[in-house]
Amino acid sequence: MMLMRRKSTPPDSAAQADESTASDALRQTCLDALPIWAKQIDTARAQTEQAIVELSARFADIVSGLDAALLDSKDSAATGAPDLAATMDDGNRQLARVMEALEAIRDSRQMLAQEIRSLAVYTGELSKMADQVGMIAFQTNMLALNAAIEAAHAGEAGKGFAVVAHEVRQLSNSARETGKLISERVGAINESLSHIVETNEEAARTEGDAVRESGARIQDVLARFRSMNMRISQSAADLRNKSAAIKDDVAESLVQLQFQDRVGQILAHVASTMRDLHERCREPSGSHDGVQFLADMARTYTTEEQRRNHQGETAEPIAAQAVEFF
Amino acid sequence: MSKRILIVDDSASVRQVAGIALSRAGYEVIEACDGQDALSKLNGKVHLIISDVNMPRMDGISFLKAVKAHPSYKFTPVIMLTTEAGEDKKNEGRAAGARAWIVKPFQPQTMLDAVAKLVLA
Repeated sequence: MMLMRRKSTPPDSAAQADESTASDALRQTCLDALPIWAKQIDTARAQTEQAIVELSARFADIVSGLDAALLDSKDSAATGAPDLAATMDDGNRQLARVMEALEAIRDSRQMLAQEIRSLAVYTGELSKMADQVGMIAFQTNMLALNAAIEAAHAGEAGKGFAVVAHEVRQLSNSARETGKLISERVGAINESLSHIVETNEEAARTEGDAVRESGARIQDVLARFRSMNMRISQSAADLRNKSAAIKDDVAESLVQLQFQDRVGQILAHVASTMRDLHERCREPSGSHDGVQFLADMARTYTTEEQRRNHQGETAEPIAAQAVEFF
Repeated sequence: MSKRILIVDDSASVRQVAGIALSRAGYEVIEACDGQDALSKLNGKVHLIISDVNMPRMDGISFLKAVKAHPSYKFTPVIMLTTEAGEDKKNEGRAAGARAWIVKPFQPQTMLDAVAKLVLA
């Protein structure tokens, strides 16, 4: 623009000389400055590109790492969780079987107790029978005593009968002793059976309590395992979702880094145009065509932003576009 | 066997974005930094080429013309991936034999859809 203004202003007398001197100085400054500016832009562009390439490589590594982690996590979720759930179900089934077995033992014990109680009925009968034996022995003894009295009344003739009566009394005494002994033994058996029944019932109660307590504890442990498993699964799912979201964000950031390509092209074009202008500044005065220079510059734009800027419009950010098939 | 895709772009970050997306989609990727580099890497079966337009040494349109003149690659589909959105350049690319035109910045999925469509065609 500066060169165009100089070209459109007609030279005039003394002012012409001053302006010419100033113009030459300005031209020399441009000649000196333009290559420096172009080089500065190249440096900035190269540094930006290098940084962006390194940054995008890091982002790419993060995306790959998250991809791998998500894949592993999905595999674990697909294989590990059902295994744990199956183990829990199996544990429940095994526990139910153990409980059934223990209940079967308790039932057997109750049946045994029932059998023992039914024995007590028989022993009661035995006791009555022993009492009857005692009673018969007593009555026999009374009969033998009466017979001995009658034999004594009979005198000499009753002597033989007295011997028989004596033997019968001996026998009845022996029978009474036997009945007594039977009663004592039956009493001992009854006592022993009662003790067995009590012990058995106590053992059954203790066993039942232990079984119930063990079952409750195992159920509690399994419930805690289940709850822990659910929390772990939930945490793993949360972690997977967060990782996937981060991966999407990083991948999107990678896409956004494409701005470097556009910025690089714009800066490269500016640097190239500066070099071109530098070359033109070295040409003899008056040979420069500013309009042509700007037209050449506009023709070599590669982005829409450059064209809009050139026309004095605002260069809006460029959004991703659809594919155009030919 | 995975399909081979040649990406030609002077911007390493664009090659990276496109390369990652294509590799993750199961393609084998070959990278070149300009038309001349790409011509030197054209050997064996290449199922599709993605090329930038504005590049040093040999630009994308010249490279496209060279590909279409090559007996082994004249039927290889070429997608132009460029900052150029002007109709003149687009027409130039169409006339030279490009099959699709994608303007940067691009969404990797958009590129993958176009690649899948042309590789299968």
